[in-house]
This record gives sequence, structure tokens and C-alpha cells, in this order.
Amino acid sequence: MLVDFELIKRAQKGDSAAFNEIVLAYRKRILGTISRLIARPEDVEDVAQEVFLRLYFSLDQLRTAEVFEPWLHRLTVNAAYDYLRKQRRRQEFRMSDLSEQQVMLADAAAGGKVEHEEQYRKKIRESVQSLLGAVSEADRILLMLKEVEGLSLKELEKIYKVNENALKVRLFRARQRVLKAYGSAEAREETG
Amino acid sequence: MNSMRGNVDERLDALLRAYRDACPTPEPSANFMPNLWQRIESRQSFTFSFQRMANAFVTAAVALSIALGVYMSIPHANSASYSQSYLEALADANTLDTPDYVSPVRLELSDSGR
Repeated sequence: MLVDFELIKRAQKGDSAAFNEIVLAYRKRILGTISRLIARPEDVEDVAQEVFLRLYFSLDQLRTAEVFEPWLHRLTVNAAYDYLRKQRRRQEFRMSDLSEQQVMLADAAAGGKVEHEEQYRKKIRESVQSLLGAVSEADRILLMLKEVEGLSLKELEKIYKVNENALKVRLFRARQRVLKAYGSAEAREETG
Repeated sequence: MNSMRGNVDERLDALLRAYRDACPTPEPSANFMPNLWQRIESRQSFTFSFQRMANAFVTAAVALSIALGVYMSIPHANSASYSQSYLEALADANTLDTPDYVSPVRLELSDSGR
């Protein structure tokens, strides 16, 4: 844990300086997680602020130190989920772009060097975002937390408050859907 | 088939690894904390005004209920002079010259034995 529980208690009592310290301690971690969950650099800070805003208004419900981090993770997941749902409504992720991006997928798998590094990263982000369009926002976040953030099933269990088997089933199904989308996109690329 | 599947699995894992590297942790801007506090304060003021509105509404509802209760409990001046009951009023309205809309029922008893 990056902060001690005394600091949290002080923040719970309305100490702004203590809350600032908590934000400063976790800010970078939260920004990183959100960056990978939503893959839109321009909106990462906005979503992170939403997480800390929710933390501020729900901090008084926290009772024990052990649950602080899973709880902060849950707030992050919820904020990212809300953001992604809004994004989906705007239909910004188009599956039709996928075949074009498959060229980059091959590069990514091979670990080949690309001249324009930032452009390459952008393509990778777009490819993954397109693939994740095959699953719901909730499954997408779950998959990201497991596969990209590297959280263990135990950690996910604490965040989602569901048992390990249910998580395994859900993760398996989500991965299968993404694999199917990946396979069909590759097939499209080969035929096209 | 399985090897193909395994291949796709591996390629997906590689893609996700590449994705992790393609999403570096952004540096927070200088305005991160001021903007956050601005949002907190605007949410607080909204909550505060909402609470005030809710309180005002509840107070008004209670006051109205009390006023209605008091109004209903006070005997009104015109109710004393008007002591006619509902049945009396009905009888008055239904005077003898009022025609009956239903004619009397006539029963014709026939001899069932025939």
C-alpha cells in the first residue's frame, strides 16, 4: 500500500492535505491503468479525475486499510466502464477498420521494428481497441486487467467481489470472443 | 487445428504485450490537482443546493399538511346551518311529481299443471 491508513483516516475527516497526498501517491498508477483500459491519451486525465472525485465522496464508507486498494481499483474500473459505454454510444470504434490494422498485428507479434514509433503505437492501440469491440465493456475491462495489467485472479476476486470460478469462466468466454474476432480479421486480411 | 489455435493464442498474447508497451503511463498535467479540486467543489455545491432544495420541499410539505389538518379540524360556519342529511336531500329531489322511469313489474302466473 502506498499510503498508511492514518492518512486515509485524516482524509475521511475532511483533511484536504491528506486527500491531496493520497491522490499524489496513486495518481500515476491510476493514470497508467486508465491509459491501458481506454487507450485514449487525450481522455485519460479526465477519467482519472473522475476516479479521485468518486474516491473523495465515498471515502467515508471505507472501514479497513486492506480494502483500500481493491476499492480504488473498483472505482477505476467503474469510471473506465462508464467512459467506454459513452464511447460506444458515439460509435467511435469501428470493426471495419480492423483488416487494415492486421498488418500492424503481424508486426507486433513478430516484434518487428517500425520506423515511426508513435504511429506504430497508435496502430497497436487501435488494433486492440477494435478487437475488444467484440466483447462487452465489462468483459473488455476484465480481460485488460488480467491480460494487460497482469492482475491475479485473487486480486480480481477482491475487486469484483465474485468467486474465482465465475471469473475464470467469464475470462475464458471473453478471450474466446476476442480470439474469434482476431481469427476472422486475419482471415479477412488474407482473402483481401 | 490445435497448433493453428495455439498460434492465434500466442499472437494475441504478443499483441496484448505490445499494447501494454504502446500505452505508456502519461504524466499528469500541471492542472491535474486544481482541476480535480474544482470538480470536487462544483459537485459539493450542487449537492449542497440539492439538499437545500429537498429540505425546503420537505418543510413546505409538512407546513401544508399541518395547515390542512388545522383547516379540516375547525368546524366551518356554514356547516351548522346546513344540517340536511344526504337522504333528506335525496327525498327532496325525488318528489311525487317526478315520473318513474321504471314501470312496475307485472307477473303473470300461468297454470303450470296444464
